Amino acid sequence: MKPVLVLCLGNEYISDDGFGPAVAARLNTGSELPDYVEVLGAAVAGFNLLDHLAGRQRVLIVDTIRTGKSAPGFLHHFSLGELAPTHHLTTSHQISLPTALEFGRRLGLAMPAAVDVLAVEADDLETLREGLTPSVAEAVDQAVLEVGTWILENRVKEVPDNNGR
Amino acid sequence: MKSITIDPITRLEGHGKIHLFVNDDGSLANCYFQVPELRGFEKFCQGRPVEEMCRITTRICGVCPDAHHLAAAKAADAVYGVVPPPAAVKLRRLMYNAFFAGDHTTHFYALGGPDFVCGPDAPPGERNILGVIAKVGIDAGKKVIAQRARGQRVIEIIGGKKVHPVTALPGGMAKRVTKEEQAEMIKIGAEMVEFAKFTIQIVNDVVLANKAYVDMILSDPYTHKTYNMGLVDEKGKVNFYDGKVRVTGPDGAKHAEYEPKNYLDYVAEHVEPYSYLKYPYLKKIGWKGFVDGVDSGVYKATPLSRLNASDGMATPLAQAEYERFYETLTKDKSGKTPVHATLATHWARVVELVYASEATLELARDEEITSDQIRIIPEGIVGEGVGIVEAPRGTLTHHYKTDKNGIVTEANLIVGTTNNNAPITMSIKRAAEGVIKKGVQITEGMLNRIEMAFRAYDPCFGCATHSLPGQMPLEVIVHDTTTGEVINAQRRYC
Repeated sequence: MKPVLVLCLGNEYISDDGFGPAVAARLNTGSELPDYVEVLGAAVAGFNLLDHLAGRQRVLIVDTIRTGKSAPGFLHHFSLGELAPTHHLTTSHQISLPTALEFGRRLGLAMPAAVDVLAVEADDLETLREGLTPSVAEAVDQAVLEVGTWILENRVKEVPDNNGR
Repeated sequence: MKSITIDPITRLEGHGKIHLFVNDDGSLANCYFQVPELRGFEKFCQGRPVEEMCRITTRICGVCPDAHHLAAAKAADAVYGVVPPPAAVKLRRLMYNAFFAGDHTTHFYALGGPDFVCGPDAPPGERNILGVIAKVGIDAGKKVIAQRARGQRVIEIIGGKKVHPVTALPGGMAKRVTKEEQAEMIKIGAEMVEFAKFTIQIVNDVVLANKAYVDMILSDPYTHKTYNMGLVDEKGKVNFYDGKVRVTGPDGAKHAEYEPKNYLDYVAEHVEPYSYLKYPYLKKIGWKGFVDGVDSGVYKATPLSRLNASDGMATPLAQAEYERFYETLTKDKSGKTPVHATLATHWARVVELVYASEATLELARDEEITSDQIRIIPEGIVGEGVGIVEAPRGTLTHHYKTDKNGIVTEANLIVGTTNNNAPITMSIKRAAEGVIKKGVQITEGMLNRIEMAFRAYDPCFGCATHSLPGQMPLEVIVHDTTTGEVINAQRRYC
């Protein structure tokens, strides 16, 4: 398992919710990524997030948010603990990311020391439609650049296991 | 009196809103509940091959994808007029029961648990899964994680992928199960049954041992005497995957039992001007407003409803827990008298968790699941199909019409929570009546009691597939009924 993870959350069938997958697609088809990092796209929620986070040292989550205070397409940066709640929390399990992380820690799972978040201010998170709204689509390039920078700033030496891999 | 307009709000800030209108004497005049809803489903489906719906709809809901996968598959079976072979049905059922066991576990311990186990007056910092762990022990937490992983492993084996299964097709399944995979699933089933027993013990020791909890469950603010809906098999027992839809009345009498394809003869949808939410109701009784009782078409479809509508559970440990449930809450273990207390839904989930675990083990042991007879290729087309399953949070209906090539022309979906939109509104109003008083500042505890009323329904609003960070943002706004003026407001998580 790679120690550094970029987890791009979202559902590409719900308009701007597809931002995360769009960023992941660009990162995974561009030039090769450093060997300490993995970029995953996932449409998961609540507890299912824990499965992705356990065992990682550093994580960047790419997602959408709707604060209502910024123009669509604006890129927010948070670290865990600063997160403002958004629309798509309404998973039936309603387990918050901070709670999920704390839960994992208390059970002795190896959880990342820090989780950073890059979230685009979304316009439409209600319409079933493939494709981002224009302002959000325009933010993909910038997001890809910022993720690239984050990856370089979070270089971690992979600790070899007993097989020396 | 001024007339106030509440718009459906084309762009909610992403949170639920509850508007409460309070009279001068402090009593509650009215309550309006709004949530953001996904729109454009039918348009989205048009032009797609119907078998794609099995894979697309799993991604619309990242929390109960298996329910959509199978409801869409059953609808697609009907569109093509094919009946899957028995081995395929067993595989679908095995995967689905494993999913249910995992999902109900997560809900009981992480969501309902905090209210049920810690109590509504526990401080907010404890009213989450961490508080539950503190009460029941770290070991319990580890067991919850393991239980979820088990459910996901079965879905991966039979459904081809964790979380979002892909193998159900019109006419059956795309993937066989090997003897090794079967052996693994038998072991998983046995572990699930042990976990189910552990959970029964938790209900015993932490909840039932405390009379205050039982009183809280049975207390009035969370009770609505509505009709109840759930799928039942040919023996009248709860079945998540297949059967007839049965509806029973507030007193327990049978109102209807019908084949899924006839659902439109029994269920209609009411609309209100202030919300995009639809309010399904029983057509033959009629819409009489947000009221309960035998003359109102309002019905519930929840784990509690399923127990009420049925004659029992198909497996022994679950049946024993079913009888204990009804004995404790109605003094009649047969279950003929329905339980209406909304909070009892959390316990009903445990009864279903037990059944799902036993069914997983039973189906895993069935020799037929390794058969290669798992698909019938369709040879003709009917052009219309309805697929109904029980999702963890209520009866789920997928309805598709296609052209002669199986391309979708019309689509309708009633998700689990939609069935409960009217009861949820009523529960919120009932809870609010109990705590909101004009001139009194709304406290965190009051907000929580209102929220608890609908948390018991395990609502799935907005069908989100990811979480950032995880609580439903809610705004409660209190208006003066005469002027409409906002006199009090409280937000949480937003």
